[in-house]
Amino acid sequence: MGIALGAGLAVSIAGLGGGVGMGVAGGKAIEAIARQPEVGGDVRTLMFITFAFIETLTIYGLLIAFMLVSKM
Amino acid sequence: MIFGMWDGVYFYLGPIPVDHLIVTQWVIVAAIGLIAFFATRNMQLCPKGLQNGFEMLIVWTYDFFTQLMDKEHVAKKYAPLLSTFFLFILFSNYSGLIPGAAHIQGFQPPTSNWNVTVTLALITVLAVQSSGFAEHGFHYLGHFVSPNPLMLPLNLLEEITHPLSLTVRLFGNIFGEEMIIAYMLFLVPFLIPSALMCLSVLLGAIQAIVFTILSASYIATATGEGH
Repeated sequence: MGIALGAGLAVSIAGLGGGVGMGVAGGKAIEAIARQPEVGGDVRTLMFITFAFIETLTIYGLLIAFMLVSKM
Repeated sequence: MIFGMWDGVYFYLGPIPVDHLIVTQWVIVAAIGLIAFFATRNMQLCPKGLQNGFEMLIVWTYDFFTQLMDKEHVAKKYAPLLSTFFLFILFSNYSGLIPGAAHIQGFQPPTSNWNVTVTLALITVLAVQSSGFAEHGFHYLGHFVSPNPLMLPLNLLEEITHPLSLTVRLFGNIFGEEMIIAYMLFLVPFLIPSALMCLSVLLGAIQAIVFTILSASYIATATGEGH
């Protein structure tokens, strides 16, 4: 019971933070592209790298959840 | 078989157990090799068909890495490795989308296992360090104490977290996606999982691109000016 709750909380809290961060980063990137469409390629590359870094933190939460579930 | 650890060992090559993941990777390598062979079998000056696609891929990756790394000779040197990473990870991710693959045991994408992604990340580490030494000689060691020697532990930690995050990102994404599709197939056997599988086509490509771009940017920081 406790382990299941912990696994759920691990992935949901990690997802919450990652979602907020990705929303801010993606919104700003779209703003930048809308203002200056000629740098779209560069901004897109940087956006993907940023997304990858943010996403890693969420994936760490997912990993902990998997570990907890496998202990159950 | 949580963590994708179905240890179906087919046979032993000396002390090395050959399991389903290794066989899947052999098949993927053979598939890429065959496609490349047929694309370049009788090359023409005016490319068409498969040769055209491959030439587009190569030109695109060369331009992209040159833009990312600022140094053309470094980009030329490492573009083959990075393009191979891209193709291999793309094919591995997509190998889980073959119809019926979810129902056959041992028919999972190789990138949904720790060991494969650790290996890929370690190849990146080797490439990053050797590229740094090749570019700067022993001055490269200076970047570990770059602002001042107090930063040495942090710099060393960074060298460890790079492969760790590469490993965990690829593994977690692909394994999580596979698990979600498996649970969806268990809950709703028809139609609904196909939407998730469409999403995972996109996700597999993005993960392959992200792994390649991050490896390229690590090589770019190791070979760049500033240390």
